[in-house]
Amino acid sequence: MINVVYSTEHWIVPKIVIAVLVILLVAIIVTEGMARVKAGDSFFGKPKAFFIENYDRIKLWGTLLLFVAYIACLDVIGFTVTSIIFVFLFNVLYAGTKKRPVILSAVLAVVSSLVISILFGVVFNITLPNGLCTITLVDLGVTIY
Amino acid sequence: MMVFVTHLLIALLGVVAGIVFGAIPGMTATMAVAVFLPMTYAYDLDTALFLLLGLYVGGISGGLVPAILINIPGTPSTITTPFDGYPMAKRGEGERALKIGITASLVGGLISHLCLWLFTPLLSSAALKFSSVEKFLIILFALTVIAALSKGQMLRGIFAGFLGVLTSLCGMFSVNNAYRMVPGFLKAKMQDGFQLLPVLIGLFAIAQIFQEAEEGMRFKVEKTENENKEASVFSLKDFKGQGVNLIRSSLIGTFMGILPGVGGSAASILAYAQAKNFSKHPEKMGTGVAEGLIASESSNNGLTGGALIPLLSLGIPGDSTTAVLISAFMLQGIQVGPLFITQHPDTWNTILIALLVCNILMFLCMFYPIKWSSKIIYIPRQRLYPIIIMICIVGAYATKNGRIFDVWTLLAFGLVGYIFGKIKIPASCYLIGFILGSDLENYFIQSISASNGSLMVFFTRPIGWVIWVLIFASIAYAIMDDRKSKKKALS
Repeated sequence: MINVVYSTEHWIVPKIVIAVLVILLVAIIVTEGMARVKAGDSFFGKPKAFFIENYDRIKLWGTLLLFVAYIACLDVIGFTVTSIIFVFLFNVLYAGTKKRPVILSAVLAVVSSLVISILFGVVFNITLPNGLCTITLVDLGVTIY
Repeated sequence: MMVFVTHLLIALLGVVAGIVFGAIPGMTATMAVAVFLPMTYAYDLDTALFLLLGLYVGGISGGLVPAILINIPGTPSTITTPFDGYPMAKRGEGERALKIGITASLVGGLISHLCLWLFTPLLSSAALKFSSVEKFLIILFALTVIAALSKGQMLRGIFAGFLGVLTSLCGMFSVNNAYRMVPGFLKAKMQDGFQLLPVLIGLFAIAQIFQEAEEGMRFKVEKTENENKEASVFSLKDFKGQGVNLIRSSLIGTFMGILPGVGGSAASILAYAQAKNFSKHPEKMGTGVAEGLIASESSNNGLTGGALIPLLSLGIPGDSTTAVLISAFMLQGIQVGPLFITQHPDTWNTILIALLVCNILMFLCMFYPIKWSSKIIYIPRQRLYPIIIMICIVGAYATKNGRIFDVWTLLAFGLVGYIFGKIKIPASCYLIGFILGSDLENYFIQSISASNGSLMVFFTRPIGWVIWVLIFASIAYAIMDDRKSKKKALS
């Protein structure tokens, strides 16, 4: 029997789901712990390292940092310019800082950002983040975000 | 006529882009559909369907190229393709292997297309009799099936599914307009919870990029062996005596596609195992025979039609790629479910035509220029990922006509997906739960409201009993299978 009361009915299903999740979590911990004991290990086992051995710190944390900065700049600077900057930085992060790859990174960043910006913003008429560097060409009725 | 030409060109674009995504290891059909979804904002539903189905078919098929040539499955659904494909490539029969795989893919796609055409209307008309009780039970069934097929990971699979349900409940409940599980400062933005598209692209595209960043993005692609011109000639004789294998594997793929959350790798593994069971020369499987290649490739293309059956008849997606298709339908204001075929017969026809066209285009695009197009696998991923990040941001931002909040959602779920990979929680189960969560809640509340709060309502209708039997059967199967695979892991 479940009483459906208007003012609290939004909590009925979440509460049931949370209860199910707790039961499942306990079941997972117990069954996997027992399996470890059976295999001759301790119940909780040895804590495993979260990251893989010798993980690439610069690329992983760099990706996160650039991603956050990219989003934060989007509606301050505007889509196209922000994208040119960050697609370039991502390229440098992934492909290295030697001279030739960097030049290629710059070319790729400019070309891909412009193509995406014009394709989506102008041709498909999809709203992109706008900011300081957004230009509206009134004569053509076109906005470059 | 003009319209059809446009559709054909769009489908071609979809197929080619899908093949590229499928062929580059680490990038999947789901990623292809997710990345291109924002493009469909600009199209009408018919055109969008040609693009999306093209991406789907292309993405599933493209995976066979690296699987055969460099021994790396391009997508999860080609997991058993290298078993026989790579030994053939090593013998210098790469081109022959590719062509066998492509032809098997076409047959798998066509057989599943036939199943889609025949079974969707049947299932829909059965589902029309469903009240909210049966609809609730069907979703519960979908969540237990996920578990039944999470090989040795049953509890984690169910856990992920329910966690997805819980995530989808964040936001405002539509009946009494009350918020739950939303911090105060986000209330204005989370009225209808997290948007499907950023969640999905985050889980399946951004998470992948984080994972590869951790691994350092060092991709070494070995050069394939030189072709042995004489041995590498493809002829239809390669398919002699393989008719049963072809049909069986395609049907296994289709069936696995129908079950929600199972995904391509299970289809490929099961079809390969069955081909081995029934083979006259099981000892030769794995040494480079056409048989294994045919089993794997026809089954994974069988998925495409199969996964669309529950999507169109019940509104439940069969895999993560069709889950993206649901959001495409939502964007166009169409509700998929039992009423879909009767209410939108034209769209239903378009889907059938589009799927057929895409399968044929896939074959034409891959079979003839394969020598040239197999070079796709050498495209450096570190150059593509920055562009993919940019397109994902466009897609997330445009979900609700331009909100930065959805872009933060994208990043957040990218991290969630990355962490799930670390602690072994299957992201596809989580996603299915997320998609079905709000329906699950609505049907549950409707059912118990109608019965004045009595839970007996779930046990009083005969169709409901049938679904209960299915639910218990899937759980029983899950427990048995779980034990078996754990024993195997121990021995």
